[in-house]
Amino acid sequence: MALTIAIHSYKGGSGKTSFAINLASAYASVGKSVCLLDVDLKAPSSFNYLLPESKHWVNDIFEGRYGVMDVVKDVSKEMGTKGAFYIGYSNPDILAVREVSSKDRKWQSKALKLLMAAKKDLSNAGIDVVILDTGAGVDFTSVNAIAVADHVISVGRPGVSRQRLMEQIIGGVYMPLDKDCYIIENMCHSDNPTDLSGKKFDLPVLASIPCMCDVAVRGDNEVLVLTEPYHIFSKKIYDIMESLDKITS
Amino acid sequence: MTDNSSTEEMIRLLREISGKLDRILIQGSADKESDDGILDVLDVMTLLTLPDHLRTTATALFELGSATADELAEKTNKERAVESNYLNQLVRMGHVAKNRNGRKVYFSIGEGLGK
Ligand SMILES: Nc1ncnc2c1ncn2[C@@H]1O[C@H](COP(=O)(O)OP(=O)(O)OP(=O)(O)O)[C@@H](O)[C@H]1O
Ligand SMILES: [Mg+2]
Repeated sequence: MALTIAIHSYKGGSGKTSFAINLASAYASVGKSVCLLDVDLKAPSSFNYLLPESKHWVNDIFEGRYGVMDVVKDVSKEMGTKGAFYIGYSNPDILAVREVSSKDRKWQSKALKLLMAAKKDLSNAGIDVVILDTGAGVDFTSVNAIAVADHVISVGRPGVSRQRLMEQIIGGVYMPLDKDCYIIENMCHSDNPTDLSGKKFDLPVLASIPCMCDVAVRGDNEVLVLTEPYHIFSKKIYDIMESLDKITS
Repeated sequence: MTDNSSTEEMIRLLREISGKLDRILIQGSADKESDDGILDVLDVMTLLTLPDHLRTTATALFELGSATADELAEKTNKERAVESNYLNQLVRMGHVAKNRNGRKVYFSIGEGLGK
């Protein structure tokens, strides 16, 4: 089975998408066959329009219109990665976003089944790593993806208030769904040393990534892991990949 | 109290009653929905509210799609009889559908009864 990782956070803007793009690129750059899916149907990121366009949408998977392999597109040539690099986008058209936001529970239940099936299809197609970039907070689009994943990486900004929220989501969502979870502290600052691991659960913190203008400014136009592998940010991502390899092997 | 202010007071009270009636009507229609069985749909939020043992069974069934009690027991590493008991509990709760195919009984996540 493909290693499936959901990238999640309780609050928005913690750096999930930046992290997801770079982690997926890191895996592809070392020759792993990767699939990166934007499952944030309510606020599609289109991966900042950084990566090449594709014909179909991740929405089509949830609707049962297309299989996952018809939706994803291999961008390894454009990105210059050694391994295959499949990408699937959520439809950013406002009509599609509005439609998703009004789906009922029955649709969401079917969506979960279809996403489970998609994971199987990706494994059968020889994908090694599936990365699901989820929306923030607790709603169907994020929790369905968490339910499908083997591992959850929760990306959060450090701070006392966020620590309590982190404990809530670990105890109320990740643990009941029986997931292996890890924490990435992002946008860390020396003024704010409170870590996120949560005394109650004591989850492994895979990395603390400093707050860096480069990530914010250059992140819109390049994938740092690929364009500057020796950047502090890129090195952190490669370290995380190695830690994950150790944990999962 | 002048006539004017008591009229105003009456109007205020009537508005308050009208608002309460509106809320009761809204509440009533929500109850009706659950009678139709919409609450039986097993979505991921409902999954989270299940007791641990049933949640494990239901999650495994989501992954397998459709399965016999034997197949499910193999996946969850539990006794077949135990798993069969859990599955039937989920059937009674309306979350799981049960279908016979020849001599085998297959379980799958239900479609819900509502709309
Ligand atoms: N370590 C960092 N240092 C500085 N800026 C960062 C860092 N990580 C991410 N950012 C920036 O923070 C902003 C939010 O990041 P991103 O879009 O990845 O967050 P997100 O969690 O995916 O947000 P959303 O919840 O809206 O999906 C972006 O502008 C990104 O470039
Ligand atoms: Mg995002």
